[in-house]
Amino acid sequence: MSSTLFRSSLVGRHGSGAAEGWVAADGRLWRRVLRHRGGRFGTALGVVLALVAVIGPLLTADPNLTDYTNKLASPSGEHLLGTDLAGRDFFARTLVGAQTSLGAALLVMAIVTVIGLGVGVLAGSAGGAIDTVLNRLMDVVLGIPGLVLTLAIVGMLGPSFLNLVIAMTVTGWAGLAKLARAHTRGASQRPDVIAARMAGAGPLRIAFGHVLPGAVSLVLVASTLRIGETVVAFAGLSFLGLGAQPPTAEWGTMLSESRMTLAIAPFQIIGPGVGLMLTVLASTLVADALRDVSEPGSRQ
Amino acid sequence: MASRVLRRLAQALGTLLGGAVITFLMLAATPGDPAERILTAKGQEAVTPEAIAALRTELGLDRPLPVRLGDYLRDLVMGDLGSSWSTGRPVVAELGERLPATLRLTVAALGIAVAVSLVLGLAAAWGAGRLLDHVSRTVSMVFLVVPSFLLGVMILDIVVVRSGVGVVIADGQWGTVLLPAITLALGAAASWSRVLRASLLDARAAPFLMVSRARGTTALHRMVVHELPNSMPPFITIIGIEVAVLVGGAPIVESIYSWPGVGRFTVQAVGARDMPVIVGFVMFAIALFVVASLAVDLLTAAIDPRQRAR
Repeated sequence: MSSTLFRSSLVGRHGSGAAEGWVAADGRLWRRVLRHRGGRFGTALGVVLALVAVIGPLLTADPNLTDYTNKLASPSGEHLLGTDLAGRDFFARTLVGAQTSLGAALLVMAIVTVIGLGVGVLAGSAGGAIDTVLNRLMDVVLGIPGLVLTLAIVGMLGPSFLNLVIAMTVTGWAGLAKLARAHTRGASQRPDVIAARMAGAGPLRIAFGHVLPGAVSLVLVASTLRIGETVVAFAGLSFLGLGAQPPTAEWGTMLSESRMTLAIAPFQIIGPGVGLMLTVLASTLVADALRDVSEPGSRQ
Repeated sequence: MASRVLRRLAQALGTLLGGAVITFLMLAATPGDPAERILTAKGQEAVTPEAIAALRTELGLDRPLPVRLGDYLRDLVMGDLGSSWSTGRPVVAELGERLPATLRLTVAALGIAVAVSLVLGLAAAWGAGRLLDHVSRTVSMVFLVVPSFLLGVMILDIVVVRSGVGVVIADGQWGTVLLPAITLALGAAASWSRVLRASLLDARAAPFLMVSRARGTTALHRMVVHELPNSMPPFITIIGIEVAVLVGGAPIVESIYSWPGVGRFTVQAVGARDMPVIVGFVMFAIALFVVASLAVDLLTAAIDPRQRAR
């Protein structure tokens, strides 16, 4: 097999299947994922969720429009998922919530991917003291359970949407950096890198021209596997009141706002609940497919 | 074996030290004056600038950062985590009195998760590719995609409140542990059962099992005597790693069920930005993580001769 192989160091709850396996990171990978039954379904589900998050909010009513004469209305033609205690339309809030929850997770993933790549490739190609220091730092961050460290940083900065994004970024980069570092170190003995070095290419040119492209696809795959986990973590901490703040329409916040009245109006759980479950389902299916297609001997 | 234990112990100490330095930097970088917050929290007399200055000297906050780090590490070794900025009481006392509740919840969740994952994993591997496998895998997929806080809200706010069975405010004793423990355990159980199924099937593919089969052993014999013991190392490893995930999930589940443990206390501390308490919880989580991974390492070495030889 000519593709780059890596052993993912991520042992995430939702991606644990793929985390255990060898994953091939190259362009053909996604085509094989699409031929995999679960992978196809997961990808399609992910695309639908992304479309809902992007287009949905443009088509619906104002998610923050209150109507106290019509509070806790059951689902109907007018309010597909009913209304909450303030008479706000749950369908509109769920769609806008998709944008908030998925958007926040994507933002975290984007920042974490860039930082992880930068630090990992730097550590791997610099070697020596820089590598030792950065590698120790990664070990320490990975040695603290993610949710606990996130909680602590939110405590430092104070609960808010932006601070939760920052906290999850500080927590999330280390695993990806480990991966990029391992890839970079392995690359130094690769034929194309040796040839480039013999041709007189400097360390920077080798890092950017030869090492980084492979590391990018590898880290992108690894961070994709964590999207479900990230959405759940963001929603969970917002649920505790430590992230997105009311009246922001966000799945975790919506869930916590509905708790007092859930017993008399259980339909309130449908929007954010189904949204979260479908997100994790899509992410898990794609992760499983990635493991299956890149590990020929693996059992379906 | 002895050198391996020593090496792992040194590693564990290194992780603890790294965690301590990180938490110290967090404390130092948090805006606000700890002395002022502690005095305000105690609230007996007017908070005068003199009193603040006196407490700053007493706490050593007027000394240079490296000296404070040294003091912090020494206090940590002596089991002193400082005073809460909200209540003014020692953090060790605050966390200590809530720890038993959290340990009860964690132990119960661990037991449920191990039992459920064993049932699901063994069932799936027993009927690999057949109906039993599909049922078991569908069940784990369902457990996997329901986040713990969603599950908790469904169980407590809908089922318990509507049916009137069970208690809404848990007291932290064994009698009320079942529902929060299930909430905490199911996600972990699902992920562990997937690992167990995969490693059972890996073990089944080994050549010696074909030999055993050719000798005419029953499938049950092979599963109990050969496949299960051989799939224990990965299973134990994932459990060891995810005990930390259980503790990380405790704040959410404890908050939902009003479980009077350290997790819920920490969430309240985050809301109040009470850093010493938060840092205490972080150190507790790191220590637990370190102990768990150490235990896993030694346990797998003890049951797997190949590991022992290394």
